[in-house]
Amino acid sequence: MEFSQVSSTTPQLDAEHPFATMMASFDEAARLASIAPDEYRILRQPDRELTVSVPVTLDDGSVDVLEGWRVQHNAGLGPYFGPLRLDPDIKLDDLRALAGWMTWKCALLGVPFGGAAGGLRIDRDDVSPAVLERAVRRYIANLHDVIGPDRDVFTPEKARDERVMAWIMDTVSMHQRHTTNAVVAGKPAVLGGTRHGHDATAQGLRVVATRAAERAKLGHERGGPSVIIQGAGLVGGNLARILHDCDWRVVGISDVTGGVYNENGIDVRHLLARRGHSGTIAQMHGDFEHLSDADLLLRPCDVLIPCAVANAITTRNVDAVLAKMVIEGAHSAVSAVADRRLRERGITVVPDILARGGDTVVAYFEWVQNRMGYAWLEGDVLKRIERFVGDAWESVVSQAQTRNVPLRTAAHIVAVTRVAGADCLRGLYA
Amino acid sequence: MSTAPHVKAPMDEFNPFQAMAQRFDVAADRLGLDEGLREVLRTPDKELTVSIPITMDNGKLKVFTGYRVQHNFSRGPCKGGIRYAPDVHLDEVRALAAWMTWKCSVVDVPFGGGKGGVICDPRQLSKGELERITRRYTTGIMDLLGPDRDVPAPDVNTNEQTMAWLMDTWSMHVRRTDTAIVTGKPLALGGSKGRTEATGRGVMIVTREALKKLGLRPENARVVVQGSGNVGGIGAMLLAREGMKVVSISDIYGAIHNDKGLDVPDVLAYLKQHKKLEGYSKAEHIPSAAQLELDCDVLVPAATENQLTSKNAERIKAKLVVEGANGPTTVLADQILERRGVMVVPDILANAGGVTVSYFEWVQDRAGYFWTEEVVNSRLEHVITSSFASVEETARKYNTSLRIGAYILAVGRVATVYQMRGTYA
Repeated sequence: MEFSQVSSTTPQLDAEHPFATMMASFDEAARLASIAPDEYRILRQPDRELTVSVPVTLDDGSVDVLEGWRVQHNAGLGPYFGPLRLDPDIKLDDLRALAGWMTWKCALLGVPFGGAAGGLRIDRDDVSPAVLERAVRRYIANLHDVIGPDRDVFTPEKARDERVMAWIMDTVSMHQRHTTNAVVAGKPAVLGGTRHGHDATAQGLRVVATRAAERAKLGHERGGPSVIIQGAGLVGGNLARILHDCDWRVVGISDVTGGVYNENGIDVRHLLARRGHSGTIAQMHGDFEHLSDADLLLRPCDVLIPCAVANAITTRNVDAVLAKMVIEGAHSAVSAVADRRLRERGITVVPDILARGGDTVVAYFEWVQNRMGYAWLEGDVLKRIERFVGDAWESVVSQAQTRNVPLRTAAHIVAVTRVAGADCLRGLYA
Repeated sequence: MSTAPHVKAPMDEFNPFQAMAQRFDVAADRLGLDEGLREVLRTPDKELTVSIPITMDNGKLKVFTGYRVQHNFSRGPCKGGIRYAPDVHLDEVRALAAWMTWKCSVVDVPFGGGKGGVICDPRQLSKGELERITRRYTTGIMDLLGPDRDVPAPDVNTNEQTMAWLMDTWSMHVRRTDTAIVTGKPLALGGSKGRTEATGRGVMIVTREALKKLGLRPENARVVVQGSGNVGGIGAMLLAREGMKVVSISDIYGAIHNDKGLDVPDVLAYLKQHKKLEGYSKAEHIPSAAQLELDCDVLVPAATENQLTSKNAERIKAKLVVEGANGPTTVLADQILERRGVMVVPDILANAGGVTVSYFEWVQDRAGYFWTEEVVNSRLEHVITSSFASVEETARKYNTSLRIGAYILAVGRVATVYQMRGTYA
């Protein structure tokens, strides 16, 4: 199993028709919510797509010309906001899908942003850091007309993007001739990065998991729900520690090398600390059994949270899942067909757009703190994650009950209704 | 004639953009440009796609798509038209933007190339709908526009009125009247005198200069003009005023011919009244295709692209072809005409009078001071004659056609500026 998608903040995309596929489920939501076609039509295509040519001097002195894009999907709720993807194979339609996705995600989480996505066709493993830096800087300089704290805000796509975010902040600041750190989120702390930037997704998952377990009355008889977490990195590892501290029993956890399981619970703090020192879960010894990552997903537990890869649960293994609830800690962790099957079996699925909301909410907090020039304490950030993700959870649950639809459909309905409502109130300019 | 390497025939003889790209490659070869620089010059700097939601007259919402492409602004703000048509395509907009870069460079006006378009069918739209599309499109691309950044102009299915709306939308957003944002405006809103006839006047000037090179006196030159609109009609009138004998003019339905010379003002007056040449009694009527092969000294294709092709180039009798339209001669026809010793004044030089006076409009708007028609015309005269001389000199230096000479001059100027400025960041 390949865990390369760990901590990517963007969903898996359909290779052939990413935008159309992404939109399909929201089209369905718009229909269910009886949104008039006119109110929804604007959302069927991005507001703007800017393509820029990015000439960059390579280390041998020759010039290469890269392609770069920024897609701005919808500005109904506020400034555009979304990731920058550095990828040699990226296509414009991928970015349309990501930008649209960000519109829905922001709306669902009550964050006053519209969706955007940027892409630069570069293989970061194939060029020197200096070339990567020049390419990113030139890309940002070319986009300067359409970005800014009140216009379009960049977020990282992967955990290792901190340096890239710093370059973006510096390039915009040099052009503005004053420090403009609110133009990008996910910055290093010293440049205005927020507290809980690193475990934002895990904190959001914690809020959702806690409320979902309470609602389903899971784990009452044993003093706390049991959970299996696939992934031990930024999302899975942090989540395991956090839930452990909330008196959940982490009964199973895995990394690329394999998993461990003990139905009475594992001391994950100890386990993860040792893993941090000396490698992999497969090498750990303790009061648990070793098993493959695939087998771990099929062990008994109250809640299963796959945080590592897309399609962790598919038609191949869905019928053997013994968990009472599945929370998508990774984007598209449950395939579309498996999703239907779990519903038939009466197993609740908390969808990625809601479960992974923590990173979006905390990126928004970073923007707020940068704008006022005042950094919040850890406790303030945690309290506010609880509020934003919790509110999103409540509105999804209430929508699901009212309309008798699964949580995923309910989440999409909440998002579409908010965006279409804002667009409608603003009306058409010119 | 020349020993210049021939442009390789494009895959599709009738694709004028492929033809332009290949002429660019030949010029780049002759200039010895390295691959990185070529890639920079081939690739548009920026391309913006905007969604244009409009309330239609029936109250329904409709979403149109618009583009603005900025090909290269090394030499100055981008300059280029905005077209409204159902078949607007990003690829075409890209190619037209590049075309503008070379055109501005040939006549040495300090602009780079740009182009824009909205996919719509203006015949199906009310004036109010067109205005709303124009205003919303302008708002969408506004971040890229500006008198010092990108200055649009009219193109297919857009006109003075469209430019006035664009100027007003921009001015409302910047909260001051800013006429230099767009050219091709009505005279009352900062337009330039002499703009309407500028392209035709440029055609006349290069024809006169080319005849000098060929050693032909204007009064002995018999001219065939394909087209009778802004370029062909006005061009024909100005050529006649220079003493040349205009023996044939055409519209989209057919052509008229009189070997003793047409009374051009009379023809244009008839056309204005009747909307077509049909029924004009003081000339014989001939089919369009036959017009190009008439016995004459000068042929001015001023209508549309792909008129002189591998199919008819052998039968062209003119000694001089002046391209009033964009891309009327295919690459294959170029080769045949060159072998037969026919001089071709290429489009990027021959019809650059329009962009030159657009540049003058921008200068006047910036200055807030407007020139007399005589000043506009004499400055246009200066720009076009000196550009013709530079192109001719370049062609001689590189022992090639005027067309390739014009591309070498244009591409070389942009490349030099790019290298001096260097690659930012």
